[in-house]
Amino acid sequence: MIKKENSRRAFFKKAAAVVGVVAAADYTKTLISSSSDSAGDINEKYAGDVNAQDSIMSQKQLVLMTDNEKKLMLDELLNNYHKKIA
Amino acid sequence: MSEEINTKTDDVKESRRDFLKNIGIAGAAALVASPVSVEASVGPASPDAEITVAESLQGHFVLMSDKEKETAIERLEKRYTAKYGKKTTVSDVPAPEGVLFGYALNISKCIGCRRCVHACVQENNQSRNNPEIQWIQVMKIPKGNFSFSADKLNKGYPESSKLGDYGVQVGGNAYTPVGGLSTEETQNYYAADEMVPDKDYFYVPVQCQQCEKPPCVKACPVKATFRDPNGVVVIDYNWCIGCRMCQLACPYGARRFNWGEPNLPPAEMNPKTHYFGNRPRMRGVMEKCTFCLQRTREGRNPACLEACPVGARKFGNLLDPESDVRKILATKKVFRFKEEMSTYPKFFYFVG
Repeated sequence: MIKKENSRRAFFKKAAAVVGVVAAADYTKTLISSSSDSAGDINEKYAGDVNAQDSIMSQKQLVLMTDNEKKLMLDELLNNYHKKIA
Repeated sequence: MSEEINTKTDDVKESRRDFLKNIGIAGAAALVASPVSVEASVGPASPDAEITVAESLQGHFVLMSDKEKETAIERLEKRYTAKYGKKTTVSDVPAPEGVLFGYALNISKCIGCRRCVHACVQENNQSRNNPEIQWIQVMKIPKGNFSFSADKLNKGYPESSKLGDYGVQVGGNAYTPVGGLSTEETQNYYAADEMVPDKDYFYVPVQCQQCEKPPCVKACPVKATFRDPNGVVVIDYNWCIGCRMCQLACPYGARRFNWGEPNLPPAEMNPKTHYFGNRPRMRGVMEKCTFCLQRTREGRNPACLEACPVGARKFGNLLDPESDVRKILATKKVFRFKEEMSTYPKFFYFVG
């Protein structure tokens, strides 16, 4: 005697339900992402990145390096290059 | 007794066996349904559908075996060739040994023509329009922001005193830099048709500074971005999860995120690419300057340098004392960004 919940019919029912849920979730995701990613929105996001850089860079200062600072910096770069990784 | 046990077992609505069976069914169904539903929902014409499942599932390029690398490259070449209608090569030439790349830019020579910006876009297969992604941004800084005091240049370090060499001298360069160029009132987007150079301004192109100790690399949760043996910070686009942590960490805002599918017309696509360099990117991944590693790993200069009409850009091997960059460091007035946060950028600005 096969239990009702172990029958072939039940198996297919479950498989179909899972396929349906996954497909519906994926389709919903596609719908959501396509509606929010309109050309205007995307351009706004790109512009946001560039504006963020503008804002960062407009607060910087290029500082002249002394000979000693240049030497220390170069030493650090070269030492780092020759450093062996354990 | 045995009847009792059977009764108890029947009472359990779902046994462990059933539970595991259901999980197995769900997993298998998800595997089957996923590509099918993607194909059905986005359609085969969608750019997302062109990225193969194998490509999506591939590992970090650095950790791949030679055979896996070969397969991954073949797959990409095939896809790009089909998509752009031209024979495309994806190189995986390794970083040459005994080389640490450095870049120097002469602020007093740059005329702000932006030829470097456009050469970079063309060479590196960046999105062309709507929007055009640019890795180099040219800042236009009033010359009045520049200050310099040559006699104070090497002052400000602890000096011997009558009491002996104790303690640290307060003041000096740490508090009042002897020379500098403030970026206040910077104009980043002067009109494309504006006549340059304007005699009252300096032009300072900014791109990835290829930090020796890059905060972006530390921020990446999956190690998709890393520093190669030549000191260039690169990205495995296929391994990038698009979390944008690196973009937040970058002190120079030099990274660009592909919010949408890049718009790269086939006619303008550069078919000579490198895996970590200028190969076409996809939506949802980060990109940035790589010192044109598809060129520099083969002994050529970056595209921005070649495009510069006034020779303001110099590139070379920092390990070689005879290279242009080392000579500039030794003989010119070199600037660095004050807020470098000990990241040790390998991109220098100089005058003279």
